[in-house]
Amino acid sequence: MWPLIVILIIILLVPVAMYNSLIAKRNQVRNIFATTDALLKKRFDLIPNLVTTVKGYADHERRLLEDITRARANRNWDQISDDEKIVMDNAFRKAVGGVMLAVENYPDLKASVNFLHLQRTLNELEEQISAARRAYNASVMDYNNAVEMFPTNIIAAMGNFQRKNFFEIPETERQAPAVSE
Amino acid sequence: MKTIEQLKAFYDTVLVKDLYVLEEKRRRLVNTFLVTAGIVGILALGGLVIGAQAGGSALIVFIPPGLGILIGGIVYGIQRKDYAGDFKSRIIRGLVGFLDPGLTYSEHGCIAESDYMASKIFTQRPDRYTGDDYVCGRIGATSIEFSELHSEYKTTSTDSKGRTQTHWHTIFKGLFFIADFNKHFNCEVVVLPDTAERFFGRFGQKLQALNFFRGQLIKLEDPEFERFFVVYGSDQIQARYILSTSLMQRITRFAQKTGQTVYLSFGGSRVHVAISYRKNLFEPRIFSTMLDFGPVREYYEDLQVAVGIVDDLNLNTRIWTKQ
Repeated sequence: MWPLIVILIIILLVPVAMYNSLIAKRNQVRNIFATTDALLKKRFDLIPNLVTTVKGYADHERRLLEDITRARANRNWDQISDDEKIVMDNAFRKAVGGVMLAVENYPDLKASVNFLHLQRTLNELEEQISAARRAYNASVMDYNNAVEMFPTNIIAAMGNFQRKNFFEIPETERQAPAVSE
Repeated sequence: MKTIEQLKAFYDTVLVKDLYVLEEKRRRLVNTFLVTAGIVGILALGGLVIGAQAGGSALIVFIPPGLGILIGGIVYGIQRKDYAGDFKSRIIRGLVGFLDPGLTYSEHGCIAESDYMASKIFTQRPDRYTGDDYVCGRIGATSIEFSELHSEYKTTSTDSKGRTQTHWHTIFKGLFFIADFNKHFNCEVVVLPDTAERFFGRFGQKLQALNFFRGQLIKLEDPEFERFFVVYGSDQIQARYILSTSLMQRITRFAQKTGQTVYLSFGGSRVHVAISYRKNLFEPRIFSTMLDFGPVREYYEDLQVAVGIVDDLNLNTRIWTKQ
């Protein structure tokens, strides 16, 4: 009799444990995305500052950055969907990178205290965002593996756990960090 | 960093004068050793002969050579200490100054036990903590300190006759290095040599995740780095902020270059690096000549392993808000 009860308990507990591990992995993805989101917003908030500081210099690159910002300016950050933020991240990174590269041609701007401070802050932020992207992707991989691999995929299908998208890691970042060390 | 040619020139112009003085002391030390060994040998032989004639009394056999060993040992010990002290204050201090004038050397100092424990690389509190050859100063924008360390814990056992014996076990022996890190962070990350994953593969990774004393397992993307190390941290994102893709490559290269077991940790805005060595570092030779560039080069290279960490891990790059 007892062995039967033990087997029954195990049969009941295993799916519960698998379901809980899927929930834990999904929460981990959400948790990391929340931090990533905070960092992305911080960068978004810094853009007007950058635009003002480089006014009169690197006009073409600055205008590109302004256009990207303006397209989202009329919306609250919280109204932008997660997937859209992932796409935006790429566009912002390229535009900010473009401005920073163009500024190389203006030694007086490069030497200004304001710009130097902004550049350090942006460097740090880019590095933090890069770390957040990597952490997010690692947690998504963990979660997606659980969603697709046997036997957790059965519970995932029953509980409607969907695959999640990765952040695109730019080619340059795979070889070296965005802000070259 | 200075080249080997520059070191050779420094050896020829500065160190060699000191090495002549040291060589003299070394010879005296070897002589003391040989004379003591000779006297002890003669006394032992004499004791044996007299002992045999006097009916095999153990007292006569062992007392004369025992006294010889005691007196010779004391004289040898005093001379050895004087020789080693002189060697360190002349040669190692000279090499440290040559490596970088911004560094200072203290023969008897070592990394504080509180700093060693705060690094959290080794969680066991040592029962015996010793160290020497302490170096501190600044390399560019980075302040550093390092020393040789030996930490041990003890166990006691009781045999069948009720006698207790103390056994000492090494926790860490080697170079312990601390530097100011170039990024702001407020989490703790420990990078340990990976043994579980190397032997057990994916199952090993599962085992690593169960290490409750170390915080969360941080799975990183660099396969080469993951092959060498396992990382635990209190924050998934900040751990990756510290361990950027380039720093992971640099740490892997550094571990390969030293060929030793390397441990790292990041905490309190500092990086701690522990490099295991079997040998005693920065100790003079006794039974072979010191008038040779070979050992000097070896001391220099051992020092360079520690000082070179600043370059190896790129700690002088200050492009973030921490300057």
